[in-house]
Amino acid sequence: MSETLNRESLLEAYRTMRTIREFEERVHNDFATGEIPGFVHLYAGEEASATGVCMHLTGDDYIASTHRGHGHCIAKGVDPVGMMAEIWGKATGTCKGKGGSMHIADLEVGMLGANGIVGGGGPLICGTALASKIRGDRTVGVCFFGDGASNQGTIFEAMNLATVWNLPAIFVAENNGYAEATSSTFSVACDNIADRASAFGMPGVIVDGFDFFAVHEAAGEAIRRARDGGGPTLIEMKLSRYYGHFEGDQQTYRAPGEVQKLRETKDCLLQFRKRVTANGEITGEQLDAIDAEVKAMIDGSVVKAKADPKPAAADLMTDVYVSY
Amino acid sequence: MPSAATPEIVVGIVANPASGRDIRRLTAKASVFPTAEKANMIQRLLGPLGQLGVTRVLMMPDATGISAGVIRAVRTHHAQRLPPWPRLEFVDIPLQDGAEDSVTAARAMAAAGARLIVVLGGDGTHRVVAGAVPGMPLATLSTGTNNVFPDLREATVTGLAAGLFATGRVPPERALRRNKCLHVQVGDRHELALVDVCVTRMAHVGARAVWSGETITELFVAFAEPDAIGLSSIAAMVEPIGRDEPDGAYVRCAGDGRTVWATIAPGLVSCLGVAEAGRMQPGVDYLVATRRGSIALDGEREIELLDGEGAVVRLALDGPWTLDVGATLREAVSRGALGGDAVRPPDP
Amino acid sequence: MARKITYQQAINEALDQEMARDQTVIVMGEDNAGGAGSPGEDDAWGGVLGVTKGLFHKHPGRVLDTPISESGFIGAAVGAACNGMRPVAELMFVDFMGVCFDQIFNQAAKFKYMFGGKAETPVVIRTMYGAGFRAAAQHSQCLYNIFTHIPGLKVVVPSNPYDAKGLLIQSIRDNDPVIFMEHKVLYTMEGEVPEEVYTVPFGEAAVVREGDDVTIVAIGRMVSFAQEAAASLQKKGIHCEIIDPRTTSPLDEDTILESVENTGRLVVVDESNPRCSMASDIAGLVAQKAFGALKAPIEQVTAPHVPVPFTDALEDLYIPNAAAIEAAVTRVKEYR
Repeated sequence: MSETLNRESLLEAYRTMRTIREFEERVHNDFATGEIPGFVHLYAGEEASATGVCMHLTGDDYIASTHRGHGHCIAKGVDPVGMMAEIWGKATGTCKGKGGSMHIADLEVGMLGANGIVGGGGPLICGTALASKIRGDRTVGVCFFGDGASNQGTIFEAMNLATVWNLPAIFVAENNGYAEATSSTFSVACDNIADRASAFGMPGVIVDGFDFFAVHEAAGEAIRRARDGGGPTLIEMKLSRYYGHFEGDQQTYRAPGEVQKLRETKDCLLQFRKRVTANGEITGEQLDAIDAEVKAMIDGSVVKAKADPKPAAADLMTDVYVSY
Repeated sequence: MPSAATPEIVVGIVANPASGRDIRRLTAKASVFPTAEKANMIQRLLGPLGQLGVTRVLMMPDATGISAGVIRAVRTHHAQRLPPWPRLEFVDIPLQDGAEDSVTAARAMAAAGARLIVVLGGDGTHRVVAGAVPGMPLATLSTGTNNVFPDLREATVTGLAAGLFATGRVPPERALRRNKCLHVQVGDRHELALVDVCVTRMAHVGARAVWSGETITELFVAFAEPDAIGLSSIAAMVEPIGRDEPDGAYVRCAGDGRTVWATIAPGLVSCLGVAEAGRMQPGVDYLVATRRGSIALDGEREIELLDGEGAVVRLALDGPWTLDVGATLREAVSRGALGGDAVRPPDP
Repeated sequence: MARKITYQQAINEALDQEMARDQTVIVMGEDNAGGAGSPGEDDAWGGVLGVTKGLFHKHPGRVLDTPISESGFIGAAVGAACNGMRPVAELMFVDFMGVCFDQIFNQAAKFKYMFGGKAETPVVIRTMYGAGFRAAAQHSQCLYNIFTHIPGLKVVVPSNPYDAKGLLIQSIRDNDPVIFMEHKVLYTMEGEVPEEVYTVPFGEAAVVREGDDVTIVAIGRMVSFAQEAAASLQKKGIHCEIIDPRTTSPLDEDTILESVENTGRLVVVDESNPRCSMASDIAGLVAQKAFGALKAPIEQVTAPHVPVPFTDALEDLYIPNAAAIEAAVTRVKEYR
């Protein structure tokens, strides 16, 4: 168990969280101009969750994500430049412009896809974890899902199956308080998603999803346990999203000032900066330098995405089958 | 309903929605304490409080289902024309979804004239409420298997004792006990602990709970009973201290010290090395030797200890007042306070 | 004289041989072994009708019993396929697709395209279909047409033991998701099946019988009925050509069109309900691409547009049979 994160890990964590935030803020701004097609669901505000979990994973571990998947992609190592091109519908995108925001995947880094189907990832992660278990290679699978998906039968089935087969699977419920426009206090009958864990014979814990350190520690323990053959865990992250369900959502269902207050008091990046600079582990200048590097990288990704070509007409018919 | 001339008898209830869900569910076998059960416990309090004549109960609101469950129960209770419960109200506080809610709620209850606050939670919840309203009597109820300070007791019985005290049937000198506490000073920051102050090597407060014995460097306890669960059990193995003794104890851990086995969390018996242990005298400052790490109060890391920042721990004998349920009921029996028509008959 | 085994044994043998050849092949489903967690014997059932019996002990750790959670384990098979395995999951009755279709048509079928070609999902979903067991409306349907509609899926419908073995081995080796449809009435059908390993390619129809008068395209169990009808018609001087597509996706359009170009007459036999069926699909294909060759309207012999009934009196009326095929062939032959 890690008593402390070393300086290098702290800088890496900050860079990842900052990259997600910068990426999402940029998509938010560009979507407003009407240039980005389709539906976009932003992860801003939830960065500590994806980052704190994925820092414990290697490229051989798998994650399954949600429609709000950009953060999971970046934390798992998908190239943000390819992601930006994908969101702009370009041939150079991670999925050649065929997937879009809701379906970014890169199996080479163990990212099994953002998923347009709420709750779709649970069974899939049981499958990757089953393969891990059969091979005995100590890899794990992590299923990220939201409070909306927590009420889907697929998630119940997957959690049950994970215990029945004693799979190296970790279920990460990102409870951001709203499934679309419906509060989780209305939709989740037992209020805490973590409380359902005992019904599936696994430990369930609640973690402050704004606190990178809390996430990192709990996820590390759950993942270590899974690698050791200890079976599945449910972690509920209590957090919030800064933007709407999708871009364009006016969020009239939220309290006035709700997001502003969260940004000021709970923001994962601010908290992180305060904590690591207060104890002298890292200087503010080091973090500022990362901010600048990340901003330049994201700026570059947008310039490139705008300039890149769209797929050719012939691409419509390719990639359906390996052979047909 | 009481007539207009009847004075209001107010009791507060603070139920922590977050208790019973920390990382010890994963690292040990700590119980999950469901929200629905917290709501049930509150209903089991309302019965005896109402029957003994408490007129008004103030509750802390929450957004996780405890309040909602109690409100539903109040409606069905009225519909069934059962013996009346006290009038239930929620203190009007802006919810922060954190420990500060318990603080503001407890202060609001004190301001509204509560004679006692029933606390449902763990050691940490009781610590927060005790710090918020010094001098306020607390009836303690543990929501889980991982606590030392609060009673692990049936809520109905606690409700009965709370009602006997609040209505004046049993006087404070018979009903209440004084607890010790520990004061922690780190720089300008002052904190309170009711059971133990634990210094760990973990640099960050992280997941809060101290769940691994290997990380512990120092421990200060107000009391340490060998049959307790949690960090204080470490001290109990080398320097047991009763709840009513006027001393505390300290322990310094080291891998090469004498080894002890301690029940540091449910399902977790850890072997630790103890280099030094001894009694703490009240009112004396004990220096924390660890230079870098974190300090846990009643089991939860709260303070990140920066390099060279001095920390001191002091035992005090003037900690919070708590309701001694057994003593209160014994006194009530000896006074005949629960016999005959002492308990309010149901309204027609 | 070649060895004769049943359709069911042919499927078991294909699984056994592929599991022996390739350690990444795993088998999972409800009671595929049977007896998990029970005090009695292991491999108690070997599948609800015994199709997977014996594999559990021959291939330790690679035959997995599952809870009755079709979304859960069908999805797990898809996920395992993304992570280096070649799972063969059994959806006991195809009717249960209703509780797990998302994992098949939104997940498995879409990954390759949606992820820009960078995913392969070599999963096989074996499933039992068809009427004739008095199993009524929720255990008797014939739904290969629904899977055939979905780009990204391949759909295999073997009509005899030889094809069952060769097509299943091909399915396991194929790198796309495959729906393998097994007709429950055919499990006891015997036929010549080589002991050695062989494959039957996808998208190549079998010309089961040659003839110049009428083309009959029949699928799955209907191939046997078509043969029965053709034998009877032969005595009346009508020579039928029977085509068994063997896979409905990919569909061997050429073989069907070439036959109709020669005969000018087409009867399509399909156990599904008639709307949006393989029968209507093939009829449409021929009407569009071989219109000039047609000498008579196309006849479709299908189940009626009703759920599958329970009682024998009604179920026997529901299932297309040789007499109905013979009547349809006679009508198109006599059309002027």
